[in-house]
Amino acid sequence: MNKVRGYIFSRPFMGERVPQHVQNLVIRDYCNRNNLQFLLSATEYAMTGCHLIHEQVMDELSEVDGIVAYSIFLLPENAEKRQKIYEKTIVMKKTYHFAVEGLKFSNKKECDRIELIWRVRQTLPDCYRYLA
Amino acid sequence: MFITESEKILSEEYLDKGYIIRKIDDTEALDWIRNKFCLLINHTLPETNDIEAEELLNNIHKYVSVSKLNEFRLKIIQGINSEEIFREMYFRVARNYLEALVGNELAMQLRINLSIQLPQDDSSLLPVHSDVWSGDSPFEVVVWLPLVNCYGSKAMYILPPDKSAELVEKFAIKASGSSETLFQSIKNDVQWLDVSYGEVLIFDQGLPHGNRINEENESRWSMNCRFKGVFTPYGDKKIGEFFEPITLRAASQKGMAYKLPKSS
Repeated sequence: MNKVRGYIFSRPFMGERVPQHVQNLVIRDYCNRNNLQFLLSATEYAMTGCHLIHEQVMDELSEVDGIVAYSIFLLPENAEKRQKIYEKTIVMKKTYHFAVEGLKFSNKKECDRIELIWRVRQTLPDCYRYLA
Repeated sequence: MFITESEKILSEEYLDKGYIIRKIDDTEALDWIRNKFCLLINHTLPETNDIEAEELLNNIHKYVSVSKLNEFRLKIIQGINSEEIFREMYFRVARNYLEALVGNELAMQLRINLSIQLPQDDSSLLPVHSDVWSGDSPFEVVVWLPLVNCYGSKAMYILPPDKSAELVEKFAIKASGSSETLFQSIKNDVQWLDVSYGEVLIFDQGLPHGNRINEENESRWSMNCRFKGVFTPYGDKKIGEFFEPITLRAASQKGMAYKLPKSS
């Protein structure tokens, strides 16, 4: 069974906040459904724009088979930083999973898919909205 | 508006009735989908190996009990959703109509839903509801695709736009009880939608809709999947966790990646 490190946030992301225990519940369920061994989650610091914990998780990537983040949108907002994460994961032949979306990447094609979703999401604040 | 005559007809029908039912252009994609379903069923229920597709699907209640239905449905839907090109095939069956009604830069639901309604089964019913009432964006449409001929109570119903507007006006009174009370108050106004295999239904999920006990002698198999314009407003179902862009055009891709030169 592949071992994966959980990764959750302690601050809002993309304007949304999810309690940490709920993030872990979603990750645990994803791991169960995908036959992955869930290792305790690393929790990102609350300071805006900070990804120190994520960098540490990436530094320890060789010790696991992959990472399961709660959401795609826990990746850094900066496109170049995301690119580095895609590249390192592929080079190290690991898999990066996103529990709430049920998506993952381990190759270039899958990274492009994730990146497209990111770019659309970053563009949406500039699109029109309706008020219910 | 610079839309073609055929697009205009389609749009007017959708706006007037709240749905369209059309023949599928891409029958190759539809047959691929149905064949995959049959293979998955055969794999799960080996005793069904020699049964022809239409007969197998219509008579699945002879092989699966109500108590095992959800487990069976989940197995099938997980199997079909793990097929890499399934969503593309699903899109292909409705592509032309979606481009006319929604646009040509589309977001599609990540996981397609499957509904199996056995005769007389009251465990898989969808009470009357509007998806928008529970958080969906009114910019979405549902592509509803049957794998068997759906008619009578084997089909779904929808409340037409004019009657829906009346309901919205009197919502506080009509919806004060249960969803059954609400259905009883509109049951003479709802329209049952006969959709045959080889046809696709695209409907406005903002209109109240649902199903009742299937009182026909055959089982219903249908799928549903939501589509919307990529850059139109999202409701509770967001990009990434629920929707994914599927037909982004070059100019949008350029625009999203564009960076102004730095002035200092």
